[in-house]
Amino acid sequence: MIRLPSVARGFSRRWTTRGLASAAGKLPNSNSPIVSKLKYFNSVTGSDELIPTFRVLDGVGKPLEGAEIPEIDENFAHRLYENMQLLPTLDNILYNVQRQGKISFYMTSHGEEATIIGSAAGLASDDEVFGQYREMGVLLWRDFGLDNVMNQCFGNEADTSGKGRQMPVHFGSTEHHFHTISSPLATQIPQAAGVGYALKRTPGRSSRSIAACYFGEGAASEGDFHAGLLLASTIPSPTLYIARNNGFAISTPSTEQFYGDGIASRGPGYGIDTIRVDGNDVLAVLAAVREGRRSVGHHSTSDDSFAYRARSEVEDRKRIDNPIARFRLFMESQGWWNAEAEEELKTRLKADVMKAFKKSETLKRCELGELFTDVYGGEEPWNIKEQREELTGLLRKYGEVWEPWRTELAKFKNNGQDLLKR
Amino acid sequence: MVARSALSRLAPVLSNARPAARRAALQAARGYATADSEQHTMTVRDALNVAMEEEMVRDEKVFILGEEVARYNGAYKVTKGLMDKFGEKRVVDTPITEMGFAGVAVGAALQGLRPICEFMTFNFAMQAIDQIVNSAGKTYYMSGGNVPCPVVFRGPNGAAAGVGAQHSQDYAGWYGSIPGLKVISPWSAEDCKGLLKAAIRDPNPVVFLENEMMYGVSFPMSAEAMSDNFLLPIGKAKVEREGSDITLVAHSKMVTHSMEAADALAKEGIKAEVINLRSIRPLDIGTIIKSVKKTNRLVIVEGGFPAFGVGSEICAQIIESEAFDYLDAPVERVTGADVPTPYATNLENLAFPDTAVVVKVAKRALYRTN
Repeated sequence: MIRLPSVARGFSRRWTTRGLASAAGKLPNSNSPIVSKLKYFNSVTGSDELIPTFRVLDGVGKPLEGAEIPEIDENFAHRLYENMQLLPTLDNILYNVQRQGKISFYMTSHGEEATIIGSAAGLASDDEVFGQYREMGVLLWRDFGLDNVMNQCFGNEADTSGKGRQMPVHFGSTEHHFHTISSPLATQIPQAAGVGYALKRTPGRSSRSIAACYFGEGAASEGDFHAGLLLASTIPSPTLYIARNNGFAISTPSTEQFYGDGIASRGPGYGIDTIRVDGNDVLAVLAAVREGRRSVGHHSTSDDSFAYRARSEVEDRKRIDNPIARFRLFMESQGWWNAEAEEELKTRLKADVMKAFKKSETLKRCELGELFTDVYGGEEPWNIKEQREELTGLLRKYGEVWEPWRTELAKFKNNGQDLLKR
Repeated sequence: MVARSALSRLAPVLSNARPAARRAALQAARGYATADSEQHTMTVRDALNVAMEEEMVRDEKVFILGEEVARYNGAYKVTKGLMDKFGEKRVVDTPITEMGFAGVAVGAALQGLRPICEFMTFNFAMQAIDQIVNSAGKTYYMSGGNVPCPVVFRGPNGAAAGVGAQHSQDYAGWYGSIPGLKVISPWSAEDCKGLLKAAIRDPNPVVFLENEMMYGVSFPMSAEAMSDNFLLPIGKAKVEREGSDITLVAHSKMVTHSMEAADALAKEGIKAEVINLRSIRPLDIGTIIKSVKKTNRLVIVEGGFPAFGVGSEICAQIIESEAFDYLDAPVERVTGADVPTPYATNLENLAFPDTAVVVKVAKRALYRTN
């Protein structure tokens, strides 16, 4: 993960304390020491070592030697675990629903449960979040609720995210401080810098709230990523960037996506405090996000747990090192969890998800007239009114007499009467 | 490499250097009325500057960002003095990444501020067009009306002079095709002041297309236009000159040529009506229809390329409307040539409409051969 920068301060701090007393002096606009030895470098660690990966729990849920466990109590641990388990429960059902053609699109969170839930838990509940599309867990953590999830995926009349105007999993909720998901990749990265800037200028939220921006390591190839980090660091803007590195940009492995020491190495290039975290370790992610937002206003993150892993390795890892299992083992070692609780939780979550799914599936679409609302705020322009009137005219003519239209109208809340009765 | 690209960005500025005497005169024009009878004039540049200043005084949420907008006072000096008045928190210099600072502007608008995002020219805004079209233009609708995006994207648009194909393009048609955006292409100082203020207060994303060649041009300002509450309605065209023989519709700098053409035609006894579009989207087709029903002839003048442009759209809407039955001649479009803008001055001059061409085409539409 990358913490956003105090650029000017960061630079002077880092570069003046290093002792630049060089006989050859320095260049006018730089504190860079002058050297006489010709040497190229290709590392941000100052040596030839890779950026290390922060981890708290090992593969079997045992704290590493010297690791500091972030402060959590049993209730908090339960909440982390339940939300982590809810993701695959939802994924299994909605993935199949998508396969059946009932929804047009879906994105799973498989293997990213610890990254999403751990980071959500490390943020304040009113930090402004920009997701890419695999961050449903942040909303779940903030009590968005299964009904809202299902209603958005079905795009029905109860969809609070966008009145059924967005593809599935493109959530948004001002109430939960979660910005509307945008399909074009990476546009959220510079936008988050703008949100951070706005927070800094909002009385009561400056130096308290931050913007948190998620993206996959594939999105980090977009120009928006570079532009966004550059802007966030130069404005500067209190923004935490969280790169989920699952090893693939759709199907292209990371090894073909970038060269060098992963996404994390980009952070220091922009003067941004950066950490690489094992994304399968929920406690490591939690600790890193808490620390990242602690010095709010000055700092961004690349969770690079899967850098440079080819497909087979990732899949092995999914079986062997499952983020949920790792945390369960930790909970068991604390005496907070057992097989009975596991069974009860899985049954309950599945029942909850099925109940929300069935309820949502039968709801109608929004009123037909919503086709034309919200294109513009304020006074409605004539071209919108004209289109509504044209559709209304057609409905009056054919709506109730022509069977295909009658059937279609029945799918909308109030059967098109909102237009017909105007 | 770096130096060259920086130069290419500054080239339009260098070509626009103005004498200091003129600038002093402009500053005098900034004063407010001392007597009602006094006729004020103001340049387009100052009208834009005053509009932003007044709105920044009125609303703390308004801020400006872009390349060179603060310390350098803007590549075309449109933001002159604003950093001194409002500080660097509200007039923000950004690195040279349109994608980046347009994204920051969109994010800030989504979070409740009212950013004015200056592009050094709209030619460079293509780097940011995804932010303008897909994010700013669509988020309000896609969020079910939950999240407005009140941002103004402004800067010079269309051909300037001597800056080659990549700096000489009109984007009115591009942004004009997007539902969710409002698009303004002002002509006079009054247009600029009233419409920019309206754009800043509008709850929607607005693309505000200025013209570099117009920045230094002075226009009379009414007492009303000098007031700090002067707003013009977005989506309404203005009949700049009434006439009964032919309708000339234009936007931005082409209004100047159309007004001059109307003067020339008047000498031959032809009464041309000139419509200044002011807004591209929503397009005030009603005003054009009304005029065509009176004059029975329509010429559309624009500085953009001919294909799929503002003129094409107006022509299509006219023949789809009841005005079609009133036309006594085919609709004519006077546009830029359908080639990338040439650099050579003589060729560049031939590539865009001027007053003489507008006069010639108007006569053709009137079936006059001389």
